Amino acid sequence: MKRALSALLLMIVGVLAAAGAHAAELQVPKQVTAGNAFSIPTTGSGSATFYLVGPSHSAKRQVKLGSGIEVAEDEIRTSGRYIATLCSSDGCESADFFVAATNPAHLSLLVHPSRVRVATNNAMSAVAFVFDKFHNLVLQPVPVEFHITVKDTPAFSKSLNSSNGVAWLHLNSARKEGPAQVVASIQSDSEKRVVQQVASDACNLRIRAVRKGKFIAVETEPVRDCSGNSVPDGTVVTFTKVDASGKTTVDAPVKRGVAKVDMPAQGEATISVASGVAMGNEVRIGGTP
Amino acid sequence: MGLRNLCLGAALVVAVSLVSPHWTAWAADALPQVQLNADSIAPRQIEELTGRNITRDYAYAWQTLAVALDQNRPQLLEGYFTGFAKEKFARAIADQKKNGLHVRYVDHGHKVNAFFYSPNGDAIQLRDNAQLEIQVFDGTKMIRQEQVGLHYLVIMTPAADRWVVRSLEAVPNF
Repeated sequence: MKRALSALLLMIVGVLAAAGAHAAELQVPKQVTAGNAFSIPTTGSGSATFYLVGPSHSAKRQVKLGSGIEVAEDEIRTSGRYIATLCSSDGCESADFFVAATNPAHLSLLVHPSRVRVATNNAMSAVAFVFDKFHNLVLQPVPVEFHITVKDTPAFSKSLNSSNGVAWLHLNSARKEGPAQVVASIQSDSEKRVVQQVASDACNLRIRAVRKGKFIAVETEPVRDCSGNSVPDGTVVTFTKVDASGKTTVDAPVKRGVAKVDMPAQGEATISVASGVAMGNEVRIGGTP
Repeated sequence: MGLRNLCLGAALVVAVSLVSPHWTAWAADALPQVQLNADSIAPRQIEELTGRNITRDYAYAWQTLAVALDQNRPQLLEGYFTGFAKEKFARAIADQKKNGLHVRYVDHGHKVNAFFYSPNGDAIQLRDNAQLEIQVFDGTKMIRQEQVGLHYLVIMTPAADRWVVRSLEAVPNF
């Protein structure tokens, strides 16, 4: 009984060893470039089934042993890991290899935000992803040129090497409002995005006031930010009047660059102005004669 | 006594191997374990909630990818893949279907290092050290089985209510 079991165990070991012998690796390159066809040599005779399993492609076909197995360029366009397996009557042999991206061909550019206030540090960011012609991320460092142009302002350029397929930079917004054109380029491609630079908060608010009967007409000078850009229409300006009847506050939107309001007043009045966090001047109006 | 134990052990191995397809099918459906480390991330720090969401969604991405490749169901890619990643895996599944193949991933976990988070939070890059068992089937016949540690370079981007995989590429090393 013991002998029979020992013999059975030896048989199992033998079968496992034989299975191990079939697991000898196919001769494939460790790494190939995407879209570059190659051949896998085989030995022996007869036919076998060849399998190729990759990140975007799977194939199964009959091949003749003793001749090379051609792996076509369209079978290895996607970068990543592939498993090649050859199954014959003797069993299956497998090997794996990696496909790496080919030369950089395309860029994908993310620029944020789409609107930004003028004269703000690190207000914008541009992130460029570098791809090859098969849309594989190019992991080798690639020089990416960033070029930023704003009307009436000297252009700004910076060249950066991509790392793991990505190149990025922070950008300051210009002092002058208007569109900023952000272009990222590699040798074979370029991408453009436009960021609208808009005026910042109001700055140096000035008002003038004129009595008109029972009312005081108050009007701002053209409302601008600290860089001299007109704030957008709709920006709210707050007028505050203090007179004998107490304190009155009125909000008015900027229209065509100025904000104005008529405020009822009794006797002497003091009027001040503010917009956001910016305070303006204060004017005193005498009482009715 | 020793021989009896050996026989019992052999019987157990046979029994486990008989039920193993069920176990592996179950494993393909389970949510893989993902550990995210963002200590060296730049240029922006990752918020705690974002880190948790990315960990969760990356695990779901692998879970759905494993089932999609095992059962040749490309529609499962819709949930957690986008762009070229989705297109590429969908092509692979179409080819598998055509050739009667399927690939089973038994996922033993991912150690993920987040190293790039774009300044505006619209893309994150990860390095994933994945422990996988990969089984390639022609019909019901397994033609390749391997236990591997693979390196993946990943790009994820935020979608409406989750992070989705935009690029998932195995690389020889980092």
